[in-house]
Amino acid sequence: MNNKLFEKYFVFSPYFWLVLFFFIPLAIIFKISISVSEWGMPPYQDIFLFDNGLNINTTFENYVYIFSDYYYIRSFVNSLILALISTFFCLLIGFPLAFYIATSNIRLRNILLVLVVIPFWSSFLLRVYAWKIILQNNGILNLILLNLGITSEPLQLLYNQYAVIMGIVYTYLPLMILPLYGYLNKFDLNLIDASKDLGLNRFKTFFKVILPLSVPGIVAGSLLVFIPVVGEFIIPEMLGGSDRLYYGKILWEEFFVNRNWPGASALAFTGIIILVLPIVIFQILYSRWSQRNEI
Amino acid sequence: MDKNFLVIENISKTFGENKVLENINLEISKSEFFGLLGSSGSGKTTLLRILGGFEKPDTGRVILDGVDITNLEPFDRPLNYMFQSYALFPHLNVFNNLAFGIKENSSQKEIERNVRDIANLLSIENLLNRRIKQLSGGEQQRVALGRCLIKKPKLLLLDEPLAALDKKLRSKTQLELTTLQKKLQITFVFVTHDQEEAMSLSDRMAIMKNGIILECSSPEEIYENPKSLYTANFIGIANIIEIYKKGENIYSDDLGINFKLNKEFKNIKTNILLRPEKIKIQSINNSKISSLNSFNGEILEKSYLGSFTRYEIKIKNKIISVLDQNSHSNSNYNFLKGEKVICSWESESIKVLED
Repeated sequence: MNNKLFEKYFVFSPYFWLVLFFFIPLAIIFKISISVSEWGMPPYQDIFLFDNGLNINTTFENYVYIFSDYYYIRSFVNSLILALISTFFCLLIGFPLAFYIATSNIRLRNILLVLVVIPFWSSFLLRVYAWKIILQNNGILNLILLNLGITSEPLQLLYNQYAVIMGIVYTYLPLMILPLYGYLNKFDLNLIDASKDLGLNRFKTFFKVILPLSVPGIVAGSLLVFIPVVGEFIIPEMLGGSDRLYYGKILWEEFFVNRNWPGASALAFTGIIILVLPIVIFQILYSRWSQRNEI
Repeated sequence: MDKNFLVIENISKTFGENKVLENINLEISKSEFFGLLGSSGSGKTTLLRILGGFEKPDTGRVILDGVDITNLEPFDRPLNYMFQSYALFPHLNVFNNLAFGIKENSSQKEIERNVRDIANLLSIENLLNRRIKQLSGGEQQRVALGRCLIKKPKLLLLDEPLAALDKKLRSKTQLELTTLQKKLQITFVFVTHDQEEAMSLSDRMAIMKNGIILECSSPEEIYENPKSLYTANFIGIANIIEIYKKGENIYSDDLGINFKLNKEFKNIKTNILLRPEKIKIQSINNSKISSLNSFNGEILEKSYLGSFTRYEIKIKNKIISVLDQNSHSNSNYNFLKGEKVICSWESESIKVLED
């Protein structure tokens, strides 16, 4: 293989990956979502039937169903709100942390970065389970609160949406910190001094200089948190209550409890479209904006 | 003229174990162009950052125009700081960079007028809509300067103002900067490691080394009459010759000659400074030797520098540098490598370095 050809293949390899592991599965899911369900294995009928010539056996019933049932729409909305709130808190906690790490001296910086990454070394399931132990009625947190006399009876800390948000923020925080750090690391600290020198106090310097120049890092970190949280299943399942339905949970149930593969596929496909389309539009607008502003 | 416009009193600063500044005292007059010259690690930038308010001194005070500003935040000080890297805001265009410091307290009309005025002053009117990345180094320097001057500061601090420019642009900008400073009558304090830059810009300059000020004077005074060996070596080319008292006479082992000196010195041994342009060279054939301090030497190296020729001449054990002005219309006056010559100097050109 000559070099040029190799380069070509090498450059396009991410696209092969994307086609193989994203577009083809997506097409399969779409195919299942428009087929008719039946009892059996697999639990749906083929799209193409060859009884008397070619018959196309499809239905869009599942999509109609999703959008006519308030139950599904509400779970979508719940998941989007959950993702928004979690991303917001990740940003709120992650930004100062990332900024502190990026501006501290090299030795402290490396220690802090390792501390950020360390949770990844243990199983995600175990870590979420640990929160369950901490938050449960006779858990450590309640024990401390009781002994300090802050509360007279154990608080219901677990199985509600606050526990879910906390668990998600805890789990996804490194995904916010690392891209932010990567960006803030390149930040010229003289710009902060320059802004102060020109008469802006710390607060104004943050909003006029630090924040606008951190937008690419904020966008990267937020997308990295927001996208997976929308489909998050395990954390709401383990820490959440039955009061709130999330998209990931419903998807799981359709697939594995109801064994309604076409319905579940329609749900999955809708979810991807609902999630991907705004992000694609956002990315296009954002890249235009950043080109204009040369950030 | 206000002699004590900027007073730096007993400033000391330590970073960890490292004493960066030790008991710095300086008085700078209003409208003075003052240079802080030193090699890296001399503490000059730390001193400038203390003036800017970015570092707090461990001891001492900074008084500007009668007001103690030691504990004021940078944004409360009536002065501005021009960074070596310029620190222009990459997310703003030239107009908004210039307007950055006045946006808070001015109307849109005032902002526009002030930006136009400063852009005219620095001839950057045509750049106002450009992004910072689209500017050359020289243009960035002007924007950085304009961004400070638009605030009409009482004092402008400049960190290596010309270091980021290429050589040709540097000498042009040097001239512009002095002209601008004299026109605006703003007090400038700048930091540099480049002695030529310090000499050409400063009204007065301070030589710093290891956190202390060795000398503070006009460039002429520092060049002609340096007080210390370090300064003599640091500024310009210096021939340093060790001499000692030998009975009535003064003797140099290196040159193997007796000296005539019209100055007294305390110690038995000391160094003298002889600037290379103070030495005259004559062909050995030329019989009339005028000065008492004249010696035989041999030309080892010769480099032609256009208006000057620099010779390295060996006199006994010592190699001394000589700058000879090429004022003759006839190039035959140039000496050749290996030629025997007579070097001479006036007793008055010899400076005794006591420290």
